[in-house]
Amino acid sequence: MTRLKGAFATLAAVVGFAAVLVAHTLIGSSVPASLRSAAGNRPGGSPSNSSKTPTTTVPGPAGVTGNHIVTGKVTGYGYGEVAVRLQVDNGRIVSVKVAKLLTADSYSQQIAQQVIPMLAREVMAAQSARISAISGATYTSEGYAYSVQSALDALKKG
Amino acid sequence: MSEEGYFRHAEAVMGTVVSFLLAEDGLAFTEVLAATEKAAAELHRLDQIFSLWREDSPMWRLRAGSLAAEELPPEIPAVLALCAEVREETGGNFDPWALPGGLDPTGLVKGWAIERVGALLQGAGIPAGIVNGGGDMTAFGRPPAGPAWQVGIQHPWRRERLACVVGLAPGQSLATSGRYERGEHLFTPLPAAGSVRTASVSVVGPSLARSDAYATALSVAAAPASLAKMLPAGYESYIVFEDGAEEATTGFPFADPPPDGDDNRGTPLHP
Repeated sequence: MTRLKGAFATLAAVVGFAAVLVAHTLIGSSVPASLRSAAGNRPGGSPSNSSKTPTTTVPGPAGVTGNHIVTGKVTGYGYGEVAVRLQVDNGRIVSVKVAKLLTADSYSQQIAQQVIPMLAREVMAAQSARISAISGATYTSEGYAYSVQSALDALKKG
Repeated sequence: MSEEGYFRHAEAVMGTVVSFLLAEDGLAFTEVLAATEKAAAELHRLDQIFSLWREDSPMWRLRAGSLAAEELPPEIPAVLALCAEVREETGGNFDPWALPGGLDPTGLVKGWAIERVGALLQGAGIPAGIVNGGGDMTAFGRPPAGPAWQVGIQHPWRRERLACVVGLAPGQSLATSGRYERGEHLFTPLPAAGSVRTASVSVVGPSLARSDAYATALSVAAAPASLAKMLPAGYESYIVFEDGAEEATTGFPFADPPPDGDDNRGTPLHP
């Protein structure tokens, strides 16, 4: 939204970026054309087209039979490069993993490593035919987020 | 559930990610977006009041003794009063005053804030939805299908699987507390004597502030199964222990077995 800045903006950018990347992963693989409904296909003001309003809207691979492992293209984002590997089993995404992660600095890497498991959950919930959300232990720590924020601020000043 | 007719948004706030799943029925997209922006702004505002990581937050200054009485935001006494009630209800297993670093209501604040934002969205005319703060959520309005929202509970050590599926009725909340994500972040006010530790505790009930705090209390209690039965009426719990045993109160709303039969409940668990 409008208040994201610093480390939070980085977190949000990774989430938004990775959601789009998952969509690209599906589109770029041998998935049937019927699945190629891109994330955020809403006309005008689509949240996933804006780094300010990241969403995790993703198309599910419903209708794909058999077990497939597909890897997305290595794609650059503001703080490095990432590629995501999906395992699809009979129309369900059963795992979301990072195949490659290159970051400009260790802080960005730590942020990405925190965000990606969260994203994996969101993707799994979003593509499920019957699950609206997933409950689990909190996956990022406030202290961590703030220490990253302060480190990034120090880097910018330095 | 179908993505059709639902708006999703993820907001990085309160040290986690809060996701919104909101029904759009009869609303313009811009109305849903505006309501979401207000909800997100409220979460940031509450974060600024309660953050223990910012030396300028009222909560931090209250602890440091540098907050004048006229500067005290009304949200802080409201939350502390609720904390005191929950401390009584949990026999001291949830006790923000007993933490080593000083008064810390964090274990209740996130749920309280998300509950508040859920009410705010309903007040803004959003007909139905789920606000999920890092796994602790409140649900309102008509579910996509059937009488309840279908929500998965993450398996504590099989990352790609669900421990079970819950049917969350409108107006209900679900919080899960576990040792598996942040490591040993849960402080134990009353040390257990040789009992098996909990791996994951989920609580369902009307108030997310309470569900959140009760889940924390059950996670660290010496006898969590006994404490679970002593919680106020309307709160039900589901516990997975570190040895794989599971225990739920009789009213815990497990979803009916799904047609595809992939509910993992009842299958043997091994750490």
